[in-house]
Amino acid sequence: MTDLALHIQGISKRYAEHVAVRELSLAVPRGAVYGLLGPNGAGKTTTIRMILNIIAPDEGSVTVLGRSNRDSSILDRIGYLPEERGLYKKMEVRRVLRFLAELKGVDAKTADARINEWLDRLALRTPEKDWGKAKVEELSRGMQQKVQFIGTLVHEPELVILDEPFSGLDPINAQALKDTVVELKRRGKTVIFSTHLMDNAERLCDSVCIIARGEKVLDGAVAAVKAEHSGRTVALAVVGGASESVLTVLRDPALVGKFDDNNRYFEVELAPNADPQQLLQRVIAAGAAVTRFELVQPSLHQIFLQKVGAVGVEEGMSGHG
Amino acid sequence: MAKLWAVIKREYIERVRTKWFIISTVFGPLFFLGIMVLPGLMSVRGMKEAQVSDVRILDATERGLGERVVTALRQQAERDPLKALGGTMPVATQGQVVVVAPAQLAEAESTATHAIMRKELRSYLVLDATTLSEAKARTAGRNAGGIGENAKLEGAVRRAILADRLSAEGLDATRIDSLTRINVDLMAEKIGDRGRGGSGTVSIIFGFIISFLLYMMIILYGQNVLRGVLEEKTTRVSEVVVASVKPDILLAGKVLGVGAVGLTQQLVWLAFSVGVGTYGVVAAKMMGVPGMTAITLPQVTAIQMIALVLFFLLGYIFYSTLFAAVGAMCGSQEEAQQASQPVMMLLVASIIFVQPIITNPTGGLARTMSLLPFSAPIIMPLRMAVTEVPMTDLAIALVGLAVGCWAAIWVSARIYRVGLLMYGKRPDLKELIKWIRYA
Repeated sequence: MTDLALHIQGISKRYAEHVAVRELSLAVPRGAVYGLLGPNGAGKTTTIRMILNIIAPDEGSVTVLGRSNRDSSILDRIGYLPEERGLYKKMEVRRVLRFLAELKGVDAKTADARINEWLDRLALRTPEKDWGKAKVEELSRGMQQKVQFIGTLVHEPELVILDEPFSGLDPINAQALKDTVVELKRRGKTVIFSTHLMDNAERLCDSVCIIARGEKVLDGAVAAVKAEHSGRTVALAVVGGASESVLTVLRDPALVGKFDDNNRYFEVELAPNADPQQLLQRVIAAGAAVTRFELVQPSLHQIFLQKVGAVGVEEGMSGHG
Repeated sequence: MAKLWAVIKREYIERVRTKWFIISTVFGPLFFLGIMVLPGLMSVRGMKEAQVSDVRILDATERGLGERVVTALRQQAERDPLKALGGTMPVATQGQVVVVAPAQLAEAESTATHAIMRKELRSYLVLDATTLSEAKARTAGRNAGGIGENAKLEGAVRRAILADRLSAEGLDATRIDSLTRINVDLMAEKIGDRGRGGSGTVSIIFGFIISFLLYMMIILYGQNVLRGVLEEKTTRVSEVVVASVKPDILLAGKVLGVGAVGLTQQLVWLAFSVGVGTYGVVAAKMMGVPGMTAITLPQVTAIQMIALVLFFLLGYIFYSTLFAAVGAMCGSQEEAQQASQPVMMLLVASIIFVQPIITNPTGGLARTMSLLPFSAPIIMPLRMAVTEVPMTDLAIALVGLAVGCWAAIWVSARIYRVGLLMYGKRPDLKELIKWIRYA
């Protein structure tokens, strides 16, 4: 048994007008929470669809839980929540879930027991009301999202793939989703999710991969990625906020690569070969009263902007990532 | 296989559970019965109205030909099928014969014309010297174009002239009456390679009903498949499903599941029509529908029956996979309506040719249309009903249709695979070809 939940080797997908994914390789260990990060149009959804063998890559191979994803039985061990969510509107909730379970090879009896368990857990079945008997279209949006989530997990998959799971969730459902991801990890499942919301990724992921324009920009454990980029970022705060003289210093390309005004402090990315001490001296010389000057680990967000900013977001690309 | 079964089961159960299905299954036969019986009832009423009783006969022959025409009309009326069914008897009374002198004919005609204009009279018939010498007569009236009525008048005049000639030869009235009372009952019977095969007219009706039913079923359930695919696409549920099951299996399951619904419905209807066949004819007779007596359905051989089922199944598969492809490339009902036009055209083209093919079931058009894959499911059963079809033709049509199905499935599966996950603008033909090539 391999210790990789997912192993992607050099997959590419070309469409007539553009390349969606270019020679992408990934390795996701079992039991990890893995983030697939990238701007819209980066190729995240295409990559996920190739993992699920919904579309075939032009080149490369995908190995899921030690088996090729062309082996259709492996799909039964994956749970997938697509970015564009939907259910059969006219169907009863319980019937939809039973159908989705059946498609994954779960027998009706087992499915029914699990569905009830989930409905109870997500408060869709209470002593007053059993939403399992209602038609999908009678449910509120939030409840439909819960049902969709049950559908993703009802067959107890070993690998769970969530495409932009946080989009459209209210804070309560978002929190419930985070709890569930943590719970899944605790039970030894592997979770891969795509997002462009960096703070979610930073809080949840063990490892990340940032892709842009269909290519991998960087990947690795979150701690390692941050360590690799540390020492180059300074948190700087001055009394009274930014004066023109301080801004002049920050705009010096020999010293500062990029800075981000976070209102209470600046997050400053040093220019290559620039010395942080020199920056501090220049800021003081500019007459500012420094209240904070700290070499910090950059946020994933900063790393993302730094890395993807260099590659850029393809012009006019929107929609699927 | 288990997944295919799950898809079929869902498609079937979710449809059979709907009110629409229950209503259409129960009321469908009533609807079809209505379609078939209503024209019958209407024509009965029409015939009752269109009696020749309101004809004024202007007799300027000076030999009492008018009286003879009235007698002939009365005799015709006596054997009118309507009488047997309790319809009103045409009353051609003596009072309607107006004997005029040849000189006064023009005036009498203008009086009759005014009477017709005032709606006191429906039409008039002019008999004069030329009627006797050259067998010419004239009629005018509100219903002068009515073929049935004119044929009746023509027959009556012919018999009157014959009676007049016999009378001139010196035969007495009773002899003349018995000699001219000729009731021709033309029975049209179909003859095939294996001999006689039931009534020709009934075959035509039977053939027409079958092809029309096949047409209706293919459209109804083909559209049903289209709507199902469209629903999955617009609700975005398709992506969840294709992550578990291959699009080809989803497509197959959908087509088979909906097809099973259609078969269920037809079985219910078949049971119903067997019931109607047994008890309905009696009921129809009581309601006064003509032509329901002595219907002997054409002999249907086992091979024909199998062929019929095959044509329905293959025809349904051919069209429903095409409809599925249309559903997969559209984003809304409106778009789908437009995009399904080409497929509908194929079906409509087939049904349009039913009429000319019934009139000439052995001609080149009939043969061609019954062999082409897109029209074979509708035209071949029709041709089989009205005429003897060579086994080779039957085989060619079935093999052709099977190949057509294979091609339709191949193309549709490719469009389906790509289209299901493609949102936004509907593809044009060029893009569609690209989909088919890249899928």
